Amino acid sequence: MTRRRGPTPHLLPLIGFVALFGLLPAVLLFIGGWSQLGANGSLKALSDPLNRQAVENSLVQGSLSAVAAVAVGYPVGVLLGRYEWRGQSTARALLVVPFLLPTIVVVLGIEDLFGPSGAVSSVLPALSIFGAGLPGIVAVNVSYNAPLVALLTAVGIESAPVDLEETVATLGGSPWRRYLVAWGPSSWRGALAGGLLAFVFSALAFAAPLLLCGARCYTLEARVWSLAEVLLSPGEAAVVASAMTLLLLVPLLIYLVLVLRPPVGAGPRGGRRPSLPWRSPTAWPLLGIGLAVLGGFVLLLGSVLVRGVTARATGGSAGSAWSPLFGANVTRELGISTFGALGNSLFFAAVAATIAIVLGILAGFRRPSARETGLRAYLFLPLLISPIVLSFGLATFWRPLLGGNGSVWLLIVLSQATLGLPFALQGLDVALASVAPRFRESVETLGASPFVAYLESELPLVRPALVAAGLFAFALGLGEFTATYFLATPSFTTLPVEMYRLEGLRQPGLADAIAALLVVVSLATFAALQRVGGRVLA
Amino acid sequence: MPEGLSVRGLAASWDRRPVLSDVSFTVAEGEFVTLMGPNGSGKSTLLRSLVGLEPIDAGEIRLAGRLLNGVPTHRRGIGLLFQEPTLLPRRTVRENVAFGPEIQGIPNAEVDARVDEMLELLHLAPLADRPSHALSGGERQRVALARTLAARPSLVLLDEPFASVDPEIRAELRAEFRSVLRSRGIAVVHVTHDRDEGLFLGDRVLLLSEGRLVQVGPPDEVYQHPRTRAVARFLGYNVTAGTRGARAVHPSDVRLGASGEGLPGRVLASGSVGRGWVAYVDLSNGERWETRGGEDRPRPPAGEAVTVRWTRDVPLQD
Repeated sequence: MTRRRGPTPHLLPLIGFVALFGLLPAVLLFIGGWSQLGANGSLKALSDPLNRQAVENSLVQGSLSAVAAVAVGYPVGVLLGRYEWRGQSTARALLVVPFLLPTIVVVLGIEDLFGPSGAVSSVLPALSIFGAGLPGIVAVNVSYNAPLVALLTAVGIESAPVDLEETVATLGGSPWRRYLVAWGPSSWRGALAGGLLAFVFSALAFAAPLLLCGARCYTLEARVWSLAEVLLSPGEAAVVASAMTLLLLVPLLIYLVLVLRPPVGAGPRGGRRPSLPWRSPTAWPLLGIGLAVLGGFVLLLGSVLVRGVTARATGGSAGSAWSPLFGANVTRELGISTFGALGNSLFFAAVAATIAIVLGILAGFRRPSARETGLRAYLFLPLLISPIVLSFGLATFWRPLLGGNGSVWLLIVLSQATLGLPFALQGLDVALASVAPRFRESVETLGASPFVAYLESELPLVRPALVAAGLFAFALGLGEFTATYFLATPSFTTLPVEMYRLEGLRQPGLADAIAALLVVVSLATFAALQRVGGRVLA
Repeated sequence: MPEGLSVRGLAASWDRRPVLSDVSFTVAEGEFVTLMGPNGSGKSTLLRSLVGLEPIDAGEIRLAGRLLNGVPTHRRGIGLLFQEPTLLPRRTVRENVAFGPEIQGIPNAEVDARVDEMLELLHLAPLADRPSHALSGGERQRVALARTLAARPSLVLLDEPFASVDPEIRAELRAEFRSVLRSRGIAVVHVTHDRDEGLFLGDRVLLLSEGRLVQVGPPDEVYQHPRTRAVARFLGYNVTAGTRGARAVHPSDVRLGASGEGLPGRVLASGSVGRGWVAYVDLSNGERWETRGGEDRPRPPAGEAVTVRWTRDVPLQD
């Protein structure tokens, strides 16, 4: 896979897609904003106290969340990547579940646990601080990002050659020395990458500040939405969005360098990972944190499910919210039925996943080598574009070209595909990198063209990864809230957006029921992921 | 010679499947022992058990009389070289060689002296400041040995260290390793599935089959007198189950005739090997034999009907 260099037409669709639906709308949006306000007006907008407050909020929330995510995620990553123990692959696969949950559902779960009369805060009132405000936002961000840190830490540890560690041991290196020399640096690298992503995702958080704190906690992402949609100042919104992208450029570029450039000597070789030293004092804190994370996670999901299943309509009994949820009132209030929103969610996510996978398959034929950092970074560019910037750009640039409101469904699909693309590409890339070139070469020697050889030999070998990447992109689309909320009109509402609107209509029971529905759909997707791609995820 | 390593009744398993059973042997100080056997026979597991990288189910391991059971790897004083040399990334050759003495807390002056000595011994002085990733396969393996020896282990284990080295360098490297290790007077256990390499290097040879030691002895003796079918097959003998019991026949002791006395068969394939030839014959009893000849005997063409006789055989115990 690394032997074919130079341009090939198979990368063009992906390069074009990223350019047309990621880069171009964002750049034109920024240019439009700056030319509308002019240089002085733009600088003045940036120095607006509320915008500066949003910058500060983004930095504070991003930093606190990243530090907390690393503090929680690193030990879990060590537990997963360093040792062998029974149930490890299941535990590891479970870490993917938070990615599949819509942010709005996690926000609701945190409120259920730590809010007034929450399951946890009623037992431990001191923890009620996590029910709202900055601590609540950080708790939501950690719920998402600690698993991310754990996964990247585990992957980092696994990239450290086991036999290097064994060599250090045979040279007299103590366990601490082995950590410092052999596997620790890889784990730090993974944790740093995870921490940077956690910082970026948290600094761009949208639903958590919106629902748990309000305008005083708005991040730049929420502020851009507010300027564009509430205050109807698209020019200022675009200028703030450009500043936000610049602000997050550095951490994301460092992340890309860490992820795309393997360290010298990386690659697991030989040896076997040690068993978990159950009796050793080193294992206790690891196990304690691991169990706490698992317990917290089960509690969060359980709370959302229980509250959803027993959700009450106004003045009704337990479970009475389900009937009106599918009734005419909701359709009248929101302009779409719950079945319609469910259908939209499934359709948009399915089309977005298909686009991501088709592009991934084409790109897999000519994967950029480790040295082509620029090209690889370009393909991961959508990570640099926040959901609000993306949807704002698509709405500004593409909506008029595609025929106005009738094209909203397409814009939602394109935004979901663009946002899911880096994750789908990464999953496929890792799988294809593990396939020896001899498989394709042997088919080529039988007379197949290189592309046919790729389709016939390599692609079937990575089918589980392909399906997993597709399901992952599907699940991300299903749970996507920020961009979809920005773009959606009543006819093209999805379940997460319907849930948020029901909260706004003071129908918490109905919103709870939708949250439970979303959890069930997400868990079903997880089960499918486990079934077809479990080995890849593990 | 004083006893270096002593292994008694060693048993180990992997995922509850026995990999080693009742393995016992000794290696004297300064002795070079080769551990041979087919793939999957348990060689690498045995080596890893000795150094404490795999848990053992039973038995005891002693080094210079000290019981090593339960002693962590880094306190055993056993050096291990892997098939792929695992040099520390981002460090120079010198820094790699110095690693062991440094973590032992040895004064800097002595560390430098040891490193210089090892670099000289393995002809690495010109490469001392080169980063580890800029070395060839053979150079990397020499650095790995230098680093192991600089830590002054009581026993060195070599896990097929020449397997990933280019063939033209392999022979040279074998001789160099043998000479260096002998000069240091260290006990060595060298694992290989290459019988020529094992027979060439070892003062004694240990044959492992299905997790059990099936034969131990000097290379010549083991080669001339294989005891079991497994050993005979590993050493390249033909094995036949005749009326006098199982027997091993060396390929060079096989004679082919056009007719007459002997086992009937047909030549499957034949070809030149250096100055001689090798042929494979399918016998009418279902066995396939290898036979070798020199320039003094004509090479049989493929497809030819032949009779097979042999001038010498070795009785097998199983």
